[in-house]
Amino acid sequence: MIGAGVALVCGLDRMAALQIMISRPIVAAPLVAWLLGDIAVGLEIGLMVELLWLARLPIGAAIPPDDTQVSIAGTVLAVSLGRVFGHSGLEYQLLCLLIAIPLGKFGQFFDRFARQFNGRKVALSDRYLEAGKFRAMEQTHRMGLCCFGFAAVGTYMVIVSCGLILIPILAPLMLPVLATTSEWLRLALPLVGIAVILGTANVSRSLTLFGASFSMAFLLMWLV
Amino acid sequence: MKTISKMKLCQVWFRLLLLQGSWNFERLQGGGWFYTMAPVLRVLYGEKEMQRIAREHVGYFNTHPYLAPTVVGAVIRMEIERAEGKEPVIGIAEFKEMVASPYAAVGDALFWGGLRPLAAGVALLLAAKGLVFAPIVFLIMFNALPLWFRIAGFLSGYELGVQSVDFLQKRKLPDLAIRAKETSVVLLGGVAAFMVFQVLEEKHKPLWLGLLAIPVVLVCGHLARRGVSTLMLVLLASGLVMLCSLFSADVAVWLP
Repeated sequence: MIGAGVALVCGLDRMAALQIMISRPIVAAPLVAWLLGDIAVGLEIGLMVELLWLARLPIGAAIPPDDTQVSIAGTVLAVSLGRVFGHSGLEYQLLCLLIAIPLGKFGQFFDRFARQFNGRKVALSDRYLEAGKFRAMEQTHRMGLCCFGFAAVGTYMVIVSCGLILIPILAPLMLPVLATTSEWLRLALPLVGIAVILGTANVSRSLTLFGASFSMAFLLMWLV
Repeated sequence: MKTISKMKLCQVWFRLLLLQGSWNFERLQGGGWFYTMAPVLRVLYGEKEMQRIAREHVGYFNTHPYLAPTVVGAVIRMEIERAEGKEPVIGIAEFKEMVASPYAAVGDALFWGGLRPLAAGVALLLAAKGLVFAPIVFLIMFNALPLWFRIAGFLSGYELGVQSVDFLQKRKLPDLAIRAKETSVVLLGGVAAFMVFQVLEEKHKPLWLGLLAIPVVLVCGHLARRGVSTLMLVLLASGLVMLCSLFSADVAVWLP
């Protein structure tokens, strides 16, 4: 229930309301983890997911995969299900995340459905306008928030449900593999995110700037 | 002279936070625009005359949510002038159409493309150090500028009307966006270096290997530019790392 509540609030922040960025994985994952009593797990998951789809801008009709629900559901699976099955550690967090990340595509379907559903309300709103029912028009707009809320919770439920089914099956197979590679995967995910940002950002000399700052920072840490 | 009470303006401002509540492919933020303007239209025209005016406020509209308050503030001023019977310099629909797209473009570049990666980069650096207040730093760093634009833009729009375009022009937002993007690229370089250094040190591996991260990132960036999706890159990277582990207890033992 805590996870669903956070999924709803953060899901609304993502598109329909406020947009103060509590929906970003670096905030949403630690938030739900804090409520579940293990903020460190949320911080780890937020760190790994934050940059992945940061380059996908929510411009106009473009709908990026739902990294908000990926991070929230991934954290809930890592904390709550981990307690049930007695799993913990970075390798288990990665397993939850690697299951949740592809399921973020469902967020696109739910989000598209919410927008299409809102589109169907346009004709109704026009009828209210002709009838002079302005309060009803305002109510129709508020109903749109419900659509986005359902889309967020729907995505969260799908990811958590799939996780509940897949984790008990995959954990014995994948945890030994992940145990030896977890540190490298923890590094790989943010690096992929940074690479995507560099590849898609419209910044001239981005590769030069990145290469120079990386080398300078790395050498400073190495030599100092 | 007709005026709108401060309370009513506050109501409009808070409604702006729900501008995208009924976002749809037909009219984008159109429903939210009417929802935002409704309290003001009710005061200026009353329920009877409102129907005629409302028709101009239910159509297609789309701009950046953080710069929308500037447009709304200006349109409220224009509506006040129209209600007073003054001849408009430009029609309300024309004004909305004229500013919506440029504001959207500059807002996307500045807030989504520049400020967000910048704030995320700082927060990730703190999170990588295990500092639990990293999310709060992200929220403060990111929200300070949008909140200022949301409040100051709305007030300047209300004060200046059509002239509020100057308010944003003076800020040179496209230049600011480019600088923010460049800074975020530099910062992300530092974040990547820190994370690579951290792992190599923990694994007791030669530190010069960290420089190999640059070509890896460049290859992934090139693939992303060629249209390979993030999900595919994640699966590819994870698969490669795990595949290596099938042939060895630890992929790191391959390294010198």
